[in-house]
Amino acid sequence: MSKSVEEMQALRFRVFAFFLDWASWGYIAYGIMYLLNSYWYTNIHYYGRLSVPTWGWPIVILGTLELAAISHAFGHSIGLSMFGLRLVTDSFTPPSLGKRWQRYLAWHVAVLSFPVAIWFSTQKSRLLHDRLTGTRMVLVKQYKDEIPILPPRAWYKTNRGEMSVVLIGVTLWVGALVTQIDLHTMISRVSTSSYLWKELLSPHFTHFITPDPALQQSIVSGMIETIFMALLATAVGAAFALPLSFLGARNIMGFSPLGWVVFTVVRGVFNVVRSIQPLLWGTVFAVWVGFGMFAGVMALGFHTVAALGKLYSEQVEGIDPGPLEAIAATGARRWQVVLYGVVPQVIPSFLAFTLYRWDINVRMATVIALVGGGGLGRIMFYYQSRVGLLPDAWNQVGAVIMTIIVVVWVLDYISGRVREKII
Amino acid sequence: MKDRYYAGFMTQRPAFFTEFSKGLSRIRRRFLVVLTDLFALMYLWTLASYCVNDFFYHVRNFTSLPWWVMLIVAVEVAAFWEAFGVSIGMRLLGLRLRPIEEHRLGQHVVRYILWHISPLFLFRLLWKSDAVPWHESVSGLKTVRASEIAMTPRPWYTRSWSVAAVLIMLLSLGAAMLITKVDFYALSTGAPKMMPLWRGLVSPNWALLGEGVRLLIVTVFMALMATIFAVIIAVPLSFFAARNLMHGVVGQAVYIIVRTIADIMRSLNVIIWAIVFIVWVRAGAFSGMLALFVQATANLIKLYSERLESIDPGPPEAIRATGGNRLQVVIFGVIPQIVNPYLSFTLYQWDINVRMSTIIGLVGGGGIGQLLFQYMRIWDYRSAGMMLLLITIIVWAIDYMSSRLRARLN
Amino acid sequence: MADQLVVEHLTKIYERGDILALDDISFSVVKGEFLVVIGLSGSGKSTLLRCINRLIEPTQGKVYFDGVDVTAASGGELRRLRRKMGMIYQQFNLVKRSSVLTNVLAGRLGYVNPWMSAVHRFPREDIEMGLKNLERVGISDQAYTRADNLSGGQQQRVGIARALMQEPELLMADEPVSALDPATSHSVMKYLEQMNQEDGVTVITSLHFLSLARRYGTRILALKDGKIVFEGLPSEIDEARFKEIYGEEAEHVEVR
Repeated sequence: MSKSVEEMQALRFRVFAFFLDWASWGYIAYGIMYLLNSYWYTNIHYYGRLSVPTWGWPIVILGTLELAAISHAFGHSIGLSMFGLRLVTDSFTPPSLGKRWQRYLAWHVAVLSFPVAIWFSTQKSRLLHDRLTGTRMVLVKQYKDEIPILPPRAWYKTNRGEMSVVLIGVTLWVGALVTQIDLHTMISRVSTSSYLWKELLSPHFTHFITPDPALQQSIVSGMIETIFMALLATAVGAAFALPLSFLGARNIMGFSPLGWVVFTVVRGVFNVVRSIQPLLWGTVFAVWVGFGMFAGVMALGFHTVAALGKLYSEQVEGIDPGPLEAIAATGARRWQVVLYGVVPQVIPSFLAFTLYRWDINVRMATVIALVGGGGLGRIMFYYQSRVGLLPDAWNQVGAVIMTIIVVVWVLDYISGRVREKII
Repeated sequence: MKDRYYAGFMTQRPAFFTEFSKGLSRIRRRFLVVLTDLFALMYLWTLASYCVNDFFYHVRNFTSLPWWVMLIVAVEVAAFWEAFGVSIGMRLLGLRLRPIEEHRLGQHVVRYILWHISPLFLFRLLWKSDAVPWHESVSGLKTVRASEIAMTPRPWYTRSWSVAAVLIMLLSLGAAMLITKVDFYALSTGAPKMMPLWRGLVSPNWALLGEGVRLLIVTVFMALMATIFAVIIAVPLSFFAARNLMHGVVGQAVYIIVRTIADIMRSLNVIIWAIVFIVWVRAGAFSGMLALFVQATANLIKLYSERLESIDPGPPEAIRATGGNRLQVVIFGVIPQIVNPYLSFTLYQWDINVRMSTIIGLVGGGGIGQLLFQYMRIWDYRSAGMMLLLITIIVWAIDYMSSRLRARLN
Repeated sequence: MADQLVVEHLTKIYERGDILALDDISFSVVKGEFLVVIGLSGSGKSTLLRCINRLIEPTQGKVYFDGVDVTAASGGELRRLRRKMGMIYQQFNLVKRSSVLTNVLAGRLGYVNPWMSAVHRFPREDIEMGLKNLERVGISDQAYTRADNLSGGQQQRVGIARALMQEPELLMADEPVSALDPATSHSVMKYLEQMNQEDGVTVITSLHFLSLARRYGTRILALKDGKIVFEGLPSEIDEARFKEIYGEEAEHVEVR
């Protein structure tokens, strides 16, 4: 790598590191302000109010900027260690305290003249405050030989260690407030809610085989529906994911512009579709094909295409390229190379992933009833909605839950054994 | 005799015992073959009759004949199948008919008929492991392990077991389509109904951005807190759920208990847990967090302990060789090997938790999902679109971040 | 005799990292020769062989095979040229989960009807030819086992059988024995020699060890840092040449 590229990389990392530190201090400041808000200024809103008084913003921005500069000049901050940067003097020794003070002050001058300096400077990686104080910020990996190796300090004596503790502390405290963790309620309601556990653990299997007249369905038929919903969704998902996965594999698409576009689009769609839960897709498909099991299958299948597509693509990318080369060298066409070189290599893992996905889909199918109806989920949510109306509603829910546990466990066991065998 | 004993303990099993267990495994294999065949045939039968009933008579009925008729037919077909070729059970359990020079129909018929009485004398195999079941010795058609013979492969469609497998798959899909009421008509006619939804997704209601982001923060924190608490519980428990670390009767018992509880917790969806916790601590982010926490704990115990089971036994052995005690072996031999995978699994779990926390609001578990489903319910697609957009961005961002960090950790 | 393969000013620069792998290489090969390419790891041996059938695109230079310009060939023409050039590899490059026979039949892919190959059907005579070639390399009894059940030497023989299926006029071998133990190495090299002498197939092989090159080669080409540093008969390599090719610290290692 040429010198200028290295210098630009170092400079870029310095900027990233600075912004990371700034963001960390901003996060801490915001968290503290949230705590102040919630304890002194306002009551916590139902969802947790996160607001700052109007006069707060400039102070927060300037204050965190200063704090970031201080942690950059006086120690090894989180940003610096994340990007492998170190502050050294020109002779690659750690700078003295005086030097660090100078640097901190000079930084204010430099940051204002930054755009001008970067434009006119011949030595782009040495910013104004670097030159003023005779220090430099270097990437450790670029100056491995010059930088002396120092014994590591105990973590609580380093800037990043202390800052991490503060970060984690603020996160936990804010998190506890935001998620409304309330041990008092939890403990005080143990006695009032204990009936729930008792009833769930003494399930009534009255409608296990004989259908419930109100629902016109038995647990067994719900079980069959759930399993087949998952089966159909997995099969359809796999059928679509199979061809798409080759389009989403870097090594198959090559490095031509068209290949790159197809790869990016396919992978991007996979990622977006995957990031939305099947339950959310269920609401969408319920609008499309109407409320019912079909909507549930569509939702599960749609999500499965993306989830399996990504897994498949990664498998295709991870294959041994040797056989491909050998088959291409015999004068085979491109698709023949895929068929004879790629497909035999990926089939076992494809099968394993598909089975695994079926497993996941069965679990998901038990709750897709919330938006799509059908299966064990429908029965469970029906009884749950009759709590208070039916005397043994929770016992019935318990029966459904037991069935779900058994079904999922059995399928998990079978698919695990089969997967072990084919890989 | 002497070298069978070491310091008073028997190190080799006695001959009759090995013979017995060998015979037992042969008998078990044969019975499993029959059971698999019966299961496959009855499954095929049930599905076929379901499909026919539903398709032609519009009745949802799995079987129109009494169950004992089905059983007898299945037994006979299985016997026929096993006598004449390689059945699906034989294939799955690795048994083949030994190929002979010239097949005579009579041999197969004899094998088929004797198959019915031969099981009565099967127990002979228990103490004579080289004994051959009656129907095989008389007919001269023996079954052998697939690994013992090499056979020229034939195309799959000339093999009865693979035809049966394909039939089972096709019928399963067909039945699945009937059971789940697949409706291609609705698929095509319903498309226009999607227009307002697409419009809402394309032009989201930006006025809700602030509220959405606020809920998003709650969502992410729910996932985060659940993951942190789960790690605190799962790390120590994972050592009890690793088979290679748990020795002895007590160890095995602890292993089984921890694994079973984790499996049960894992097999129930977060939503179901949320329903339970809402009764306990009332609706809100706390109950959602607890539900996520239960799932995350169970998942992490599984992931962690599987990693523990596959550690390199070299370093612990080396520590033991230097005279380290049990605790030192774990601290210096095991923990350095698992720190990075544990971190990686934790990040992965956080990723999963963020995904799950977006839907937990559906049943009152708090977070952005609650608002999304509210808006979907009142057909306010523009507001729902805003929420969906935010969900997609945050889930994608955290997925990307966690996969980048995990790649660095590995 | 006319030159079967002519390589002119072949240069390859890997864009990633600006590495000059081949630097203006020119040589020619007469039909029926057994040419051995030697050199240290990273001297460009593999790149040279792969540039000849364009598994790697050369940056500059020409390759002529039987008078046809390989570097200018496109699509179908390149495929027809490739099927005349068999190749075997250091890591055997077999599809490990497919059967031995399927691997061998893959050598016919350049010849068969593409639609039939899409459903894994090969003509009868091709299957017979595959079995015959497996018999020739001594593993006909393993035709239906999975390729990863074979030992390294057996896998390499499957690789040879696959190359034979192409009915090649030129056989390129990229360090065919460096993943094998010495005894197996010789048996594999003997098959190459047999093909060279009995079938008249031109062989170009890269080798690590000079002793093997001396034993089998009719001509030797030595590469160092992508340049040809020696070209001539095996007997012409003396101590000074050896040091020049392999560096000052090198010692002779015999493979018996």
